[in-house]
Amino acid sequence: MNNAPHQCNNVMPTPLSRRDLLKTVSAGFGWLALQGLAGHANAAASSATLAVRAPHFLPKAKRVIFLCMQGGPSHMDTFDYKPALKSDDGKSGEKGRLFASPFDWSQHGQSGLWISSAFPNVASHADDLCLLRGMTTDIPNHPQAFIQLHTGSTQFVRPSLGAWTLYGLGSQNENLPGFVTIAPPIQFGSQNYGSAFLPAVYQGTRIGAQREEGSTATVTDIHNPDLPADLQRKQIDLVQAMNRDMLTRGASAEIEGVIQSYELAFKMQTELPRVLDTKGESKATLDSYGIGGGVTDSFGKQCLMARRLSEAGVRFVEVGHGGWDHHNNLKTRLSANAAQTDKPITGLLADLKQRGLLKDTLVIWGGEFGRTPGNGKPDGRGHNAKGYTMWMAGGGVRGGFSHGATDDHGGRAVENVTHVHDLHATVLSLLGLDHEKLTYRYAGRPFRLTDVYGKVAKQIIA
Amino acid sequence: MKLAASSFFLATASFASAAITPGIPVAVPLGGDKPDAAGVEFFEKFIRPVLAQKCYDCHSKQAGKQKGGLSLDTRETMRMGGESGHAVVPGDPTESLLMKAIRYEDSDMEMPPKKEGGKLPDDVIAKFEQWIKMGAPDPRNGESLSMKPIAKREWDPVKAKEFWAFQLPKTHAAPEVQDKAWARTDVDRFILAAQEAAKIKPVADADRTTLIRRVYFDLIGLPPRPDEVDAFVKDKSPNAFEKIVDRLLASPQFGERWGRHWLDVARYAESTGKERNFTFPAAWKYRDYVIAAFNADKPYNEFVREQIAGDLLPHVDNAERNRHLIATGFLALGPKGLNERNKEQFRMDLVDEQIDVTTRAVTGVTVACARCHDHKFDPIAQRDYYAMAGIFKSTETYFGTAAAGGKNRNGTLLLTLSGGSTKTPAESAPAEPAKDLVPAPVQAAPLTVNNTANNTANNTARLEQLAGKNPQIAARLAQMTPQQKEQALARLQQRFGGTLTESTTAVGTPASKKAAAFAAQAGKKKKGKGYAPAVKQEGELCMGVMEGKRTDARVLTRGEIDQPTETVPRGLVPVLTNGDAPKISDSESGRMQLADWLVAPTNPLTARVAVNRIWLHLFGAGLVRSADNFGATGEKPSHPELLDTLAVQFEKDGWSMKKMIRSLVLTHTYQLSSAHESFANETDPDNRLLWHATQRRLDAEAIRDAMLAASGQLDATPPNGSVVASVGDGYIGRGIRPEIFSNYEGKRRSVYLPVVRDFVADVLEVFDFAEPSLVVASRDTTNVPSQALFMMNNEFVREQANAMAKRILATKLDYPNRLNYAYHLALGRPSTEAERKRADQYLLTEAKALIPLKGGDKEKAALLSWATFCQALFASAEFRYLN
Repeated sequence: MNNAPHQCNNVMPTPLSRRDLLKTVSAGFGWLALQGLAGHANAAASSATLAVRAPHFLPKAKRVIFLCMQGGPSHMDTFDYKPALKSDDGKSGEKGRLFASPFDWSQHGQSGLWISSAFPNVASHADDLCLLRGMTTDIPNHPQAFIQLHTGSTQFVRPSLGAWTLYGLGSQNENLPGFVTIAPPIQFGSQNYGSAFLPAVYQGTRIGAQREEGSTATVTDIHNPDLPADLQRKQIDLVQAMNRDMLTRGASAEIEGVIQSYELAFKMQTELPRVLDTKGESKATLDSYGIGGGVTDSFGKQCLMARRLSEAGVRFVEVGHGGWDHHNNLKTRLSANAAQTDKPITGLLADLKQRGLLKDTLVIWGGEFGRTPGNGKPDGRGHNAKGYTMWMAGGGVRGGFSHGATDDHGGRAVENVTHVHDLHATVLSLLGLDHEKLTYRYAGRPFRLTDVYGKVAKQIIA
Repeated sequence: MKLAASSFFLATASFASAAITPGIPVAVPLGGDKPDAAGVEFFEKFIRPVLAQKCYDCHSKQAGKQKGGLSLDTRETMRMGGESGHAVVPGDPTESLLMKAIRYEDSDMEMPPKKEGGKLPDDVIAKFEQWIKMGAPDPRNGESLSMKPIAKREWDPVKAKEFWAFQLPKTHAAPEVQDKAWARTDVDRFILAAQEAAKIKPVADADRTTLIRRVYFDLIGLPPRPDEVDAFVKDKSPNAFEKIVDRLLASPQFGERWGRHWLDVARYAESTGKERNFTFPAAWKYRDYVIAAFNADKPYNEFVREQIAGDLLPHVDNAERNRHLIATGFLALGPKGLNERNKEQFRMDLVDEQIDVTTRAVTGVTVACARCHDHKFDPIAQRDYYAMAGIFKSTETYFGTAAAGGKNRNGTLLLTLSGGSTKTPAESAPAEPAKDLVPAPVQAAPLTVNNTANNTANNTARLEQLAGKNPQIAARLAQMTPQQKEQALARLQQRFGGTLTESTTAVGTPASKKAAAFAAQAGKKKKGKGYAPAVKQEGELCMGVMEGKRTDARVLTRGEIDQPTETVPRGLVPVLTNGDAPKISDSESGRMQLADWLVAPTNPLTARVAVNRIWLHLFGAGLVRSADNFGATGEKPSHPELLDTLAVQFEKDGWSMKKMIRSLVLTHTYQLSSAHESFANETDPDNRLLWHATQRRLDAEAIRDAMLAASGQLDATPPNGSVVASVGDGYIGRGIRPEIFSNYEGKRRSVYLPVVRDFVADVLEVFDFAEPSLVVASRDTTNVPSQALFMMNNEFVREQANAMAKRILATKLDYPNRLNYAYHLALGRPSTEAERKRADQYLLTEAKALIPLKGGDKEKAALLSWATFCQALFASAEFRYLN
């Protein structure tokens, strides 16, 4: 990366075209072949831009699994213990009558982190968790906050966190896409896993959608119902022969790119269903994720998919889970949501750990915002952008640690306030990327994920 | 010879010499905390005295000096800092610039300066560090942040105009060339002269089959039919190519191709995008307007004027009036966050989007960069931005969505088109003043015109009342006869009175009341959640703009709506203004002046940008490669004199797009082969000197259309409307399934596919369709596996391949000729010997494996083998590349 550190006020941006990128990246798959063939790159993008790139500094994490809880999970009913809310139950608060958490709280692990009874299994991993209890975001509305969580901006179409990650680090598996999002809330649009002005190779590959069964969903156009694989290979051989003919009429990086895209696609076609197929997993593993029917089955399968994709070298995997918007019937509904996810998340953490992957896989849990200490309704809470909790595990973060705090009732973050921009800066930092240096030129100036904001929460790094 | 941009960056860096911090990290609390007693004591004892003695002289409001934009006399301004960043970040000395300054860590920022006594003693510095670590407790309650001075960049206005793109283009005589026979036109002479200077030669000409395929796709976005290729190959007349070019330019498919190029720039879409994606069911009228404008070769200057200020232009009949209104849809089509709670924020975001699209689409500079601060690279001040913002703030935008209901806090009505287009100019002349009254209804008051009363006196009185509020109307009204006043009123009623019904209330409520209720609801602070009721409008509707309440904008510190400072009169960007700046009177928004200024002969950019885009679409890259950025950070033109000459020629030729395209396509340069020994020639590997044709990938629309053309399934008739129009008002995700758009197939040309933000049809999306929320002058071309998967497996592709196979098998041709026919249909050429061998291998041998798969049915197996063969042709690189 020879791109200049970016501030909006940086006066000497170094233009980094995709062709430059081809030249400057450490040689991964693609570029060597191009070089051998051509001597120089004749044109812009090809799959070569997915080649592995060195981070800015020594990374703690190599990959990310983001468990995205859409709707705004209540922090004061899950990971942010507020005893004062109990003692002040029914009193009037800033946003209406205060509402004590209906869940029981206790301390867990060596660290003694307070976790509610909604997540009994996750609680058993307390010493792996790094709670971010001072989170804030700008807008207490689902769509904007969700987009800000993913792209940093509520106002403009910007590349997503996964796209920036892939742009910064490249992909580790030439047979798979480098950024996969499983069951995202489709109503919020592809922007949440899009690449915006970054080259399209960095956009997320979507598997299913939140309202579909994540476990049955697959990538589009991954299978040809007309042709068995061996015959399709013959058909592709025909295509590739024509493509090579074209190269003999004049070398071209673009045509080379087309040839590569067919080879990768053909490999993906085999590899992706294989990676997504969880049939070969042991019963013990499946059980640990809660797979095999019941409320945990769907999310369990998605978490297992995430592990398998990560293990196979996918750089950024997001797993979506919806329905955390508990304005009423909070006790019942939050319990139900937690029940669907508690065991699968625990299974994922345990599985990653057992495979030695947790140490360099950053697991992130959280939603677009949190909830208010009370909103005037019994058994319900409103949207809260001013204070909430997310957590991380693995990937070089301090386990059994709590960073930041909200006020006595959980209404606002007051200590070690961590804005979404700071979260982004921190995630990139754990991946060895300096959020001020990871820039891309567009419309005449360099852009970055954190715009002009972002501060790495250094305290949470182990 | 290296034509890199690096030297250029150095040359222009002086534009942007000041460093300014553009925003406030949210993580830095600016105030509001109540420091404890111990903290206050520490501050009073160790910090305040030092600040007062050593700093306030240059950095306090009281002293009247805030050097570097930094004021240290309040907690807020100290934490916010100055132009370089936060002076104090509570708890974090390393992030606090004040520490850096007093420690003399940065030679550019040593405080206090040596001449003022120099560096503070070490123990004092240590106290500051300790204090910041404590969280910088500070009892000094600040004043309004809006008192903070705006960060300023200074530039010499005369020098700023010396930048190449801000100078007016001039005609240059074509240079002398050595190879006189090669050059056919002056354009060729410019190109060849540069090559000769670099000691390189152009390659040979493209063969005829290559050339006809190239020019068909370039001009109409479709492949030539086999018989058309054949006829061209056989046509030995000297003007054979010219005849084809003229035929293509005259065909209705031309507008479908070139109109789409403009739709990319105009970020055309049929929904709001953003968090709640509301449909724009009337947007397609703008699409059709653009296509028709290109087909009619509407002069580009008129085309621009209509889109910026069509509502203010004279017209001869209703049809023209309607076209003008539809054209202003350009300003209404942008992405919008209708969920925005703050009306003023919504308004300023809308204005910003309008400034951005207008300046980037027409002039290729990014004025919107100056929303929060002076432009970092180009000599465009924040003041200039707000001068232009005043123009759009004085404009009312009608983008619709009000009929959708749902969680819409900012919906508007649409404009109503006039019925009938049969009036002659003479007949419509008397009503002229009335038409011009249309701007009036944008204010809430006219919506209460009583449409049930037939009382002329009352209505006239009402008009006069309106006139009292609007000087423009007053002036018009004074010239009207009583009949004209009646007509004016009738028009108002027709447009805004009698056509409104409210879906949520009982039928029979006076329409005017509903309209008034809507206006009141939309304009006011809500009851409950502030969502306006759904309002259904009837009649022919369109998106667009009208004059609004005239108002100048205030400069917003850092672009934040609660940080207003000085008011700036409406105006235009000085650096792009040559000669006298247009005058904007109190009675108008200034949009007409803006439109005229954009296409005035004194505007240095508009013609250059337009010509450069034409060049880009014909040669694969612009003469200025950064086609959407002609500013300081853009690239310099490879052939500046040619670009300028073309720009002047374009204006001379009446801004005719077709004439410009024709003249470029008929150059020798356009007709070169793409085959070249590029790697033997290190002089110009990027082909900036155009010594060979650049191999180009077809865009998404052309790839889909070419499949439909080859399969014989293409329905070339334009649709009446669009899928989004038939779906109607609503928002996607609730009630409207996104698959309706993203999986939409149909057999019409791709330009007519629904363009719904975030749910662009897969076939377009996969081949780098222009992101419809961004102004896109030059699309990406990627080669990614998803494209390969699409060609290998997608249902639409397989269906077209199947249809093409049926088409081939339905002929009476024998096998070798069928094979040739397939190549002609897909690639516009006969098959080669090697290809025939491979085809034999596949069709005659390998595909036998399909017979058992089809239960022994040989006919079905044969069809499938041909279908998969045709699919292979679609999938080949040659199919999607132009040589």
